[in-house]
Amino acid sequence: MDGPMAVTALLSKLEIPRDTVLVIRDGTLVPGDAMLGPDDHIEIRPVISGGRS
Amino acid sequence: MKCRVCRGPAVVDVRRHNANFCEEHFLKLCRDQVEKAIHDHRMLEPGDRVLVAVSGGKDSLALWDILLQLGYETDGLYLGLGIGDYSSESGRFATGFAKERGLNLEEVDISSEYGFDIPGGSRAARRAPCSACGLTKRHLFDEAARRGSYDALATGHNLDDEAAVLLGNVLRWEHEYLGRQRPVLPAGDGFPKKIKPLVRLGEREMAAYCVLRGIDYMVEECPMAEGNRHLAYKEALNGIEDRSPGTKHSFYFGFQERTSVLFAGAGDSAGRPTRCDRCGAPGNSAVCAFCRLMERAGGRLPAAPEPVPVELGATRSNGQGSATT
Repeated sequence: MDGPMAVTALLSKLEIPRDTVLVIRDGTLVPGDAMLGPDDHIEIRPVISGGRS
Repeated sequence: MKCRVCRGPAVVDVRRHNANFCEEHFLKLCRDQVEKAIHDHRMLEPGDRVLVAVSGGKDSLALWDILLQLGYETDGLYLGLGIGDYSSESGRFATGFAKERGLNLEEVDISSEYGFDIPGGSRAARRAPCSACGLTKRHLFDEAARRGSYDALATGHNLDDEAAVLLGNVLRWEHEYLGRQRPVLPAGDGFPKKIKPLVRLGEREMAAYCVLRGIDYMVEECPMAEGNRHLAYKEALNGIEDRSPGTKHSFYFGFQERTSVLFAGAGDSAGRPTRCDRCGAPGNSAVCAFCRLMERAGGRLPAAPEPVPVELGATRSNGQGSATT
């Protein structure tokens, strides 16, 4: 990221549907309007599990 | 964003509810939704003993955590399926959860107990890995629930799982599976009662629940599930949900409330109830599907299996177009 960016904007830029991931900043869950900075440690965690039984 | 309940800072947004929640009220929402599912579908009575099918993933661990908070007496069962590092790692999450909380978790390693693993069973029986895995899990979870005389077997199927299975069953008009796709299946024919208390919660909510509760879980997907049809159905539904939040809920609960009755009984067969010659499990064939799979894979039953009393009635199919974590 070049500068601050909202979670929703980042996911949109990466073409990731919001309902398929959680965004975790420095170990803390953040909502869609949270602003992310270039120095933040960000995890985009997938939430989809796919085993069929 | 502000919490819909207390107007404090929100940590998670739930688009299908068009609402945001702080940690406290999001966790309450999850508990309330499970409680509502249990109540609405008459899944459990106070004091019931519940066996939780635990995979080490977010859904089953969140389910166990919530059932404990709601006051149910629970034990867990984890199956080591022999899927390389994935099984070893997921087993560590399951045992870690139980150990930290002083819970009773039974572990069954199918390689050492039954002499085969899912990759080998899948190849030998020429079944898709997820099919061999599902068959094995259903059989062993059912058997454990009978052996332990539990009032119900609880699985971590969530709304996303159930909506994706429903889509697959509708696309192929699998009327038998549609007849059995319910949040609760009563005990009968030697099978335990099966309940899905997470049907009102999506998998993103379950992942968020685990993060907020500090529950470590297996994030990585099973390597054998990659590219399966179930994931394709989820992807399709997620695309629709992205444009129209709430579609999955409407699809699944609309089916339950308006249409499922049309398929009621379709999962039952008129076959004579019987028991498997090898393991004694209920069913409608001389050798059950699990024993056939095991034997094709070169496995064997444990040396001295304890006999499990089985009460037989009208036979029903035990196949379920279903999904778990």
